[in-house]
Amino acid sequence: MDPMSRFSVVPSGDESPEGATRPVPLEQLLRRAATGDETAFAELYDAVSSRLFGLVRRVVRDPAQSEEVTQEVFLEIWRHSARFDPSKGAALAWMLTIAHRKAVDRVRSAEASRNRDEGYGASNQDVTHDSTAEAVVERLDAERVHRALETLTPVQRQALELAYLSGYTHTEVATMLDLPLGTAKTRIRDGLIRLRDTLGVTL
Amino acid sequence: MSEDIHALSGAYAVDALDDVERARFERHLAGCPACRAEVDGLVAAASELSVLTEAAPPASLRAKVLAEIATVRPLPPLTAPQAESGDDAVTSAPPAPSQPAAEAAPAESHGDQGRHADELSERRRSRSARGLARGWRVVVAAATVAVLAMGGFTVWRQIDKDPSRALADQVLAAPDATRYGARLAGGATATIVRSTSLQKAVIVTSGMAQPPTGKVFQLWLQDATGHMTSAGLMPGGGDQVVVLSGDASHSKGAGITVEPAGGSDQPTTNPIAFVAFA
Repeated sequence: MDPMSRFSVVPSGDESPEGATRPVPLEQLLRRAATGDETAFAELYDAVSSRLFGLVRRVVRDPAQSEEVTQEVFLEIWRHSARFDPSKGAALAWMLTIAHRKAVDRVRSAEASRNRDEGYGASNQDVTHDSTAEAVVERLDAERVHRALETLTPVQRQALELAYLSGYTHTEVATMLDLPLGTAKTRIRDGLIRLRDTLGVTL
Repeated sequence: MSEDIHALSGAYAVDALDDVERARFERHLAGCPACRAEVDGLVAAASELSVLTEAAPPASLRAKVLAEIATVRPLPPLTAPQAESGDDAVTSAPPAPSQPAAEAAPAESHGDQGRHADELSERRRSRSARGLARGWRVVVAAATVAVLAMGGFTVWRQIDKDPSRALADQVLAAPDATRYGARLAGGATATIVRSTSLQKAVIVTSGMAQPPTGKVFQLWLQDATGHMTSAGLMPGGGDQVVVLSGDASHSKGAGITVEPAGGSDQPTTNPIAFVAFA
């Protein structure tokens, strides 16, 4: 089965190019948070919590732990808000990077004591679409990513999914996909480059 | 080094490197603007995938988060405003270990950390009973609880330019480099990499806490008779790459203890981490 087909198409919270759902740019909310503005941070939370929690839950899988990790992520965002550097990329990508690293750290450390809950897969379908124009725009966003993923080779897609969404190391990915040692990292990189170019990602 | 380290950019962008590879790549990143630019772009591309996994958190989380942040002051901006933005990271050499230290300290005051510390000290008590002699086992103390330090800042982190950097890089890339280590509770890890040909060992940590107030982390090399020789002090907090001082080629193991400020001649506490060079 194509792993990417497991993904549900779900609304994205805040990144519509129109900015219709994001009256205040995330970067500005971060700057205000850096001064201790808790209201701005609450607004930031509302704008990105679904993106961050969803990613964490996909990687961590266990709902209670996902919640815990997400809470740590937000605390870290709050604490480091003054150190966000817009020249390195968008605020959302920065926050997702924090969330991803923490989620990956959590699953890898958890493996020492217990196996990951494998029963999550099918339950990642619980975000329903509504029929508002906003949701349509957001769904288009997800479809755009789906289409971009279709330009990857199956191995690139699988390697990327196992690494980014399941939190495995490239060495583990190589073993799982029966790739010669050292080639999974190349597949991951090639896949990301194609994704970047297809999506026209700009910093 | 033989392998093409540039090729790790993608795996780095999606956190698919192990701790040692990550440490090596970040050192490479400090001197490779091309890789930094590529990593930024690949991170942005990967983050687009999160549109596919979106899920609203439980409503209760919002209140928890907002209550928690109200008790913690945001960190000040870094004093050198451009310090993290690439170019200067190549040449300027501020002693960076202070950064993770500054980052981690405030986190220790909030409740969540206290809870983890309690769990961990409990775990330590049960583990210490089993002793250090268990080869690869790494014993974890409360002091190694992962604090909220640096976790997501892989891409933007300022790279440490201490004088031992080149040596650390050599050890990590040595053909006979051998790794010893384990994941620690709380998400912290310690990996010791030894090259007998270079006679050196390097410790790579991830997610380590700060030592308790007034204490330091001290490194030790153990000889065949079980005697521990100091291998220097190491900073706590975040991710560290530290060369152990002394000749490690004949050592039988290495450990970390918590010692009074300034360090000790001999360990005065049980190691919080110990690996045997099996």
